[in-house]
Amino acid sequence: MSDELSYEAARAELAEVVSKLESGGGTLEEALALWERGEKLAEICQARLDGARARLDAASSSDVA
Amino acid sequence: MAAESSAEEPWPVRVVSQKISAWVGKLGWVWMDGQVAQLSRRPGSATVFLTLRDPSADLSLTVTASRDVVDSGAPMLEEGARIVVHAKPEWFAQRGTLSLRADTIRQVGLGELLARLEQLKKLLHAEGLFDPRRKRRPPFLPHKIGLITARASAAERDVLTNAKRRWPAVDFRVLNVTVQGPTAVPSIIGALQNLDADPSVDVIILARGGGSVEDLLPFSDEALCRAVFACRTPVISAIGHEPDTPLVDFVADMRASTPTDAAKRVVPDLAEEMRLIAQARLRVTNAVRQRIDREQQRLDAVRSRPSLARPHALVDRLSVELTQLTDRSHRAMTHRVQRASSELEHTLARLRALSPAATLSRGYSIVQRSDGRVLRSAADVSAGAMLRVRLAEGELKATVTE
Repeated sequence: MSDELSYEAARAELAEVVSKLESGGGTLEEALALWERGEKLAEICQARLDGARARLDAASSSDVA
Repeated sequence: MAAESSAEEPWPVRVVSQKISAWVGKLGWVWMDGQVAQLSRRPGSATVFLTLRDPSADLSLTVTASRDVVDSGAPMLEEGARIVVHAKPEWFAQRGTLSLRADTIRQVGLGELLARLEQLKKLLHAEGLFDPRRKRRPPFLPHKIGLITARASAAERDVLTNAKRRWPAVDFRVLNVTVQGPTAVPSIIGALQNLDADPSVDVIILARGGGSVEDLLPFSDEALCRAVFACRTPVISAIGHEPDTPLVDFVADMRASTPTDAAKRVVPDLAEEMRLIAQARLRVTNAVRQRIDREQQRLDAVRSRPSLARPHALVDRLSVELTQLTDRSHRAMTHRVQRASSELEHTLARLRALSPAATLSRGYSIVQRSDGRVLRSAADVSAGAMLRVRLAEGELKATVTE
């Protein structure tokens, strides 16, 4: 899965996947593929947020040090 | 005597002195305004000698007047007084000196001085010297501050101590001047130009402690105002106490009410700035942290949506659909079968109803002739005819006897 996807792009696509899944359209096979894509995107977003928080904590902890 | 002097035919001193005297005489009577720098009334002498200075420039002239002219015009005359004289120039050939002979002397009262000051204010205002658009903002943190003030004065101490307390690393270049009396203006202008020319000085403070209206007059002097206006370096005026507003206050780039106020305005407070910086950094970090938290919430919300959180739901739903479909098909089938079988029964029943079996079972029997036709009337057959008798159970063959 492409990693250089920006946080915003990943989250936007995730939202799209969810709405497609909720609309229930497409074949079972497509639904499964969509679901897997959704999980992957969610992981990317979570990783980005954790990264950001880590950088922030690192920065402000260097203040404190 | 040749009309023109020449190297070959130079004029003698008396001729030159006489020509000067003629030239000087051409000025005639003039009204002159000035400040008495020196006054000498030698006892027994009928003439009073005065040195009259220009309040704005480093220039003075000697004025002589008879004792009664002085006594009638300016009885309480003393040094420092502002006077107006009506005089004409006199050339003393013997010593080769020039002085003015006054026939009238008038003391300029404070009221008139202030009236003149208002007049000057209007003039300078009209010329745009007070125009706020022309004012330059002093630097937030000056490298070197030029300070013009009287030597070891309270004003000097106030500016230096307050500024240093706020910004310990502040750098000053102090020029001490006279801040009162006839020589004040030229000395201040000199200091101003000196500091303005110094590239390392990026703001100039003109500071003076409190004083009477007369004391502060030099700071409303036209030449000083023009000098301040001409400065390229921003000038902060800190003259007297809060209510005092000499003209230089209007021309300066910034007006401080007192020397201490000037110190507060010219340098930022280090402690305050440090606190502001720390606060700013905190707010920046918090802003980003909040942004992350908000995004985290939105992500969590999306991930908790059923279609992602419980994908089985999809499969379950599909399987539920599946079972529903199978149920329906099953029901449909059973329904059809039932219908079919009930139809069968129905037709069977009708069949049976139509079929003679029931009547046979009630003891009746069906007689058929050999050709199969059912025998309804005895007359239809004659003796010896072969008949087929169908009973509830089984059949008989019979022949008609009669």
